[in-house]
Amino acid sequence: MSRVFHLPAGSTRSGARRAAASPSGPGPAAAPGPGPRRGGIVAGYLAPHPPHLVYAENPPQNEPRSTGGWEVLRWGYEELRRRLRAHRPDVLVVHAPHWITMVGHHVNCVPNPRGVSVEPIFPHLFRYHYDFRTDVELAEAVVEEGERAGLVTSALREEGVRVDYATIGALHLANPDWDLPVVSLSANNNPYYYSDASLGEMETLGAATRRAIERTGRRAVLLASNSLSHMHWDTEPDLPEDMAAEHPFSHEQYAGDMELLQIVREGPTSRLKDAIPRHIGATASETKAGSLTWLLAAMGWPEVAGDVLAYGTVIATGNAVVEWVAP
Amino acid sequence: MNALPAALVPAMPHLLAGDPTSSWAELATATRTVGDRLRAAGVETVLLLSTHWFTVLGHQVQCDDRLRGRRTDENWYRYDYGHLAYDVTVDTELAHRWADAIDADGMQARRTRYDGFPVDTGTVVASQLLDPRGQGRWAMVSCNLYADPSAMAAVAAAGMRAAGQLGRRLGVVAVTGLSSGLTGRWIDPGEDRVEDTHDRWNRKMLDAIRAGDREAVLAMSPQYAAAAQADSQFRAFAFLDGAGAVDRPGEVLAYGPVWGTGAAVVWWGEPTESRET
Repeated sequence: MSRVFHLPAGSTRSGARRAAASPSGPGPAAAPGPGPRRGGIVAGYLAPHPPHLVYAENPPQNEPRSTGGWEVLRWGYEELRRRLRAHRPDVLVVHAPHWITMVGHHVNCVPNPRGVSVEPIFPHLFRYHYDFRTDVELAEAVVEEGERAGLVTSALREEGVRVDYATIGALHLANPDWDLPVVSLSANNNPYYYSDASLGEMETLGAATRRAIERTGRRAVLLASNSLSHMHWDTEPDLPEDMAAEHPFSHEQYAGDMELLQIVREGPTSRLKDAIPRHIGATASETKAGSLTWLLAAMGWPEVAGDVLAYGTVIATGNAVVEWVAP
Repeated sequence: MNALPAALVPAMPHLLAGDPTSSWAELATATRTVGDRLRAAGVETVLLLSTHWFTVLGHQVQCDDRLRGRRTDENWYRYDYGHLAYDVTVDTELAHRWADAIDADGMQARRTRYDGFPVDTGTVVASQLLDPRGQGRWAMVSCNLYADPSAMAAVAAAGMRAAGQLGRRLGVVAVTGLSSGLTGRWIDPGEDRVEDTHDRWNRKMLDAIRAGDREAVLAMSPQYAAAAQADSQFRAFAFLDGAGAVDRPGEVLAYGPVWGTGAAVVWWGEPTESRET
C-alpha cells in the first residue's frame, strides 16, 4: 500500500497558533427555531461522499443494487437530512474533491446539469442518473468574488462535463429529493502529480463564497464533501458491502481521526486551523483537497463546536458526518 | 522486428490543439511517428496503460469491445482540445485473458464494461495520435495509485503472458507525463516552460533511458517522484519494465513542456522509416 499524496498540506500556518482547548468550551449552536428567515450561511456539514453510501441506499437514480451496509454512517445522514430541512435553506453549496481542476477554482454555472455519472473508480457501485438545478446567480457571484480576491477562477458553462461522484454523493446523501438549487465548486488540486490544495487559497475561496452568499441574499447550507483518514485497501471483497471486511486501516489512522473529531466536538472551530493540517500529515486525510477548510472559512471559523452525527469507515477510510450551526 | 515495440507518450490534451505551440506540436508529431512505427512493426494490439485512468481498487481492465463517445474535459473545456471525440476498438479476447492472468497472479482484476464509462483524456489523446484512422486494437488497464508501483510491472507481465497465449503481435504503450509543476493559471501557450529543477530531473531520467540503463531509471524513480512530483510516481516506467520493453536504449523523439509539466515521447524498438499519416 502506498500513499497517493506525498506533499505537505499547502497551509503555511505555524503550529504555534493553536488555540487553547477548553473542556468547558463552546457547545454546538442551537438548531434554528421557527422564527423569521435570515440570509447568509446558516449551517455547514462535513458530508463525506463514498459512493458506497449511495450504493447501500439503493436509490432509484443509481443503477447498481446492494444489500445494504455502512448503516451507522447512513443513519448519521438521516439525521443530517432532518436538520438540514429545519434550516430551510435556499441553496446547497458544495465543494468536492473529485471535480479535479488543474488550473484554478471552477464553479458549475450550467443551469440544469443532467446525465449519467459512471464513476471510473467505482463503476460497479455508482452509475447515477442526475438532474438538478443550479443557482446560477449565486454561482456567478462566487466566480466574481473569487476573482476579486485574486484567485484563478472559471465559470463552467459547458453542458457536457460529467458531474463527479463526490459532488453527487454529498448532495444526494444530504438531500435525496434534490429539491434545492445547488452551487458546485471544484477542487483545485492534482492527484496525478501528488499536489494537495493550498489551504491558504481555500480560506480565500471560503471568504469569497461567504461574500457571494451575502451579496445575493441567499440562505445557504454548505457541504464539505470530504472523508477523513484516507489510507485504504487496494482491493475489495467479492460482496462490496461485506461489513466483515470493514474496519479502520490502522490504529494510527483511527486515532488521528478521533483526535480531530475530539477537537471538533470541543470547539471552537478556530482550533481546527492547526488541527486540520496536522491531521492531513498524520492520516493522508482527504481534507487535503481543501473542502473542510473552505467550509469553515466561509462560516468565518465560528466560535462553536461541531456536532458529530456519525463516524464509520468505508474501505478503511475514516468518514464523519458533522454539523456546524452558524451562531 | 524481434524487439518488443514500446513507447511512452504524453497524456495531456494540448497535443490535439488546433493552434498548438511548438512544444505541443513536436510532441504530437512524435506520437504520430510512434503510431507509424507500431503499424510498420505489424502490431496487432497495443497493451495500454494510461496513468490518467487512475483507480484505487484492484486493476481495472477495459472489457467493452468498442468505446465511442465524446469527452468534455472538466478542466480544459474552454479550449478546442477540451472537447474530444473518440472511437476505440478493444481487443476483448486479450482483455479477458489479461484479467484472468492478473487474477492468477494473486492480484485483483476488475473487468470493466459499462455503458457511458468515462474514458480518460490520456487514452483519448494517445489513441487519436497513435491511430488516427481508428484501425488498431487496444487492451487497456488502469493505474492503481494505491498499489505499490511495482504492482504495475506485475500487471504488465500478466498482459504479456496473456498475449503470448493468444499469439498476438503486441506493442506496449504507457501514456503519462513526466514532472508536474503544472502552471496554475491560464497562460499564453508561448509562455509554456518546465521549471528548472523539474527540467533537470526530466533530462536526467531521459538520459538514463537513452543509455538503456533500466536499473538506474528504476532506482532513481522514487527520488524523481519526490523531487519532480513525477506523474503517478513514474509507475508508467515500471509498467513498461514489467513488459520487458525497456532493457535497451530508448529513443527520445521529443521532450518539452505542456502547461508547465514535462512531457516526452520515447520509443523502444528497432526504428523503422517514419511516415506521416
